[in-house]
Amino acid sequence: MKTAVLLSNSRNPVSGRSALARLESQAIGLATHLGGSVIGIHAGERTEATREALGVGLSAVECLETSADADPIPALIDRLKAEEFDLILAGRRGQGGLDTGLVPYLIAKALDRPIIADAVAIAAGSEAGTIRVDQALKKGARRRVTVRLPAIVTVHPLAPAPAVFVYGAARRGNIRSVPANSELADTSVWAERPYRNRPRLMRTTEASTGDTSEKLHVQPEPAEAARLILDYLERNGIRSF
Amino acid sequence: MSRARRDPRAEREAKTVVGNSRRRLDLAASASLSRRLRRDPRAELDVIEVFGAPRKRYDRTQTTAFVSRMANRSDAPATKPKAPQVRIVETPAFHVFAILQTPKGRLSRFDRQILGAARMLADAGSGGGAVFALASSTTADLGSAGADRVLDLGDDPNLPASIRAEGVRAAIEELQPRHVLLAEDDDSADLARRLAVSLGESIMTDAVYMSAKQVARRKNGSRAEEFGEPPRIITLGEDRAANYAGAPCEARAIEDGPAVDRDDPAILSVETIPGDPSQLSLSETDFVISAGNGVTDIDVFKNLAEVMTATPGASRVICDAGLMPRSAQVGASGTVLSSDCYLALGIAGAPQHLQGIAGCDHVIAVNTDLHAKMVERSGLAIIQDAQLVMPALKQLIEERRGKA
Repeated sequence: MKTAVLLSNSRNPVSGRSALARLESQAIGLATHLGGSVIGIHAGERTEATREALGVGLSAVECLETSADADPIPALIDRLKAEEFDLILAGRRGQGGLDTGLVPYLIAKALDRPIIADAVAIAAGSEAGTIRVDQALKKGARRRVTVRLPAIVTVHPLAPAPAVFVYGAARRGNIRSVPANSELADTSVWAERPYRNRPRLMRTTEASTGDTSEKLHVQPEPAEAARLILDYLERNGIRSF
Repeated sequence: MSRARRDPRAEREAKTVVGNSRRRLDLAASASLSRRLRRDPRAELDVIEVFGAPRKRYDRTQTTAFVSRMANRSDAPATKPKAPQVRIVETPAFHVFAILQTPKGRLSRFDRQILGAARMLADAGSGGGAVFALASSTTADLGSAGADRVLDLGDDPNLPASIRAEGVRAAIEELQPRHVLLAEDDDSADLARRLAVSLGESIMTDAVYMSAKQVARRKNGSRAEEFGEPPRIITLGEDRAANYAGAPCEARAIEDGPAVDRDDPAILSVETIPGDPSQLSLSETDFVISAGNGVTDIDVFKNLAEVMTATPGASRVICDAGLMPRSAQVGASGTVLSSDCYLALGIAGAPQHLQGIAGCDHVIAVNTDLHAKMVERSGLAIIQDAQLVMPALKQLIEERRGKA
């Protein structure tokens, strides 16, 4: 199985320095766990983060060198069309850039492949040429999707923690630079200004339903107290026994 | 001019209550030197108030006021609080879609915020827009949360995301909404990106600010933001828009929604595996049962948590004593919860602990102290010993399970 892991031009959220996004190192972990040949593909300027990917499990990274202000998507699509990958992995959002999370969807549309979002585990399916992807849902639930390859999968932060960074492997690894077409990114849609922190709305406790006599029960019998608690849980749809 | 000299003896004399063998003073009595009566502004206003007016009004001419008061007080109709009128948008000028998640068939806080933001866009400018909630039509409170119409596209949790996106896309092409609002959360975030790419529309993801004229989002690691007029597809971050608080809307169910029953050839099977609360971390679970100093028998507590399928938590005292692991600690120095419900057994509610449960929607307190802060915070308070309630709870659950 041939897997490509998309590496973005990500930055450390605190220092702003170029660094490998955690989601992408988790994607590398999922890909190496699945086996087969794994390659990292990065479109854009070559940075330290590209080399960092070699330290967490990749053996080869391909750098599609474009100018700094170019749109990486055409270069990526050209590359992914040129060679047939069974599985393309990406983080669900970027880190320190635009962070829209649209790149995997645009690639999926261009390559006409199914896309599965928010994977926390990937295993080979029971049939050949299929994989079983566990998607993270709210409250610890998982959705298990069996999908036929080729497919694109984005990785959720709850995926297994990335492998420990190995400095020697990062130095030894091979980065192949390929010049790619540089189309300028379309930046006309939105205007830009410095960020102003906008606090979230305060979470206020909503007025509890019913009057205080329903709310407060002084010295009820334990059995009565238990009944009150279970009724409250059932009324608010938390648990029903 | 100097102030008149006080005469304490005369003041005491004026306050003396006559007719008692023992001398007694009425200290509340006014002892003004001027002997002028003290004004009572409330009583004065009460006299000149005009009755029957929808809001409070006063007749300052003071001539007819007393008469009108006398005339009206006797036969003033007992004004009942009117039932709020339902807001009906019959022929909407434009449409705004709000795509909701409705976990367990209920509106979550996030869903209400999405509806509130959609309502704001629909009422902006000259108004006249209609909010279409894309949710199951059996969801309660959709009208009071601000939905004019409800479009039910089915709520099968195992429907592949690509098919769901096709259904929503068909609805968008049929009804041509001006805006489509989604939550930046799980499936909704996925759906928004699928729609934006398949429709070729511009999208604002994870908006941190939204008004009718402008939306803004962070970029470059919160160093810059991009902004512009609200595009067609917007995903909104949590706690970024206020709930709708106006008169309830109609929430009329739309019968003939577009039907999509295509199959995705690439997706072979989908199954949903519910989370196991006993294995979940405190920050992820939906129901936490927590022990404090009022719980002495930890084994009974752990057993109860298992029976109730809740995640066990604890206060700092219990964790310090080594009775529960540190990972179970709830509060400022432990885990800050985002669960739906919190059952506090024998926890008084220190400020640090209450910080940890600020995000919980429902709190149940079982405590012997009526004046504990946790009792104040809770939606249901039981003033009883937690040690007695725990076995009773377990017994009742087992009884009900035995019957079922």
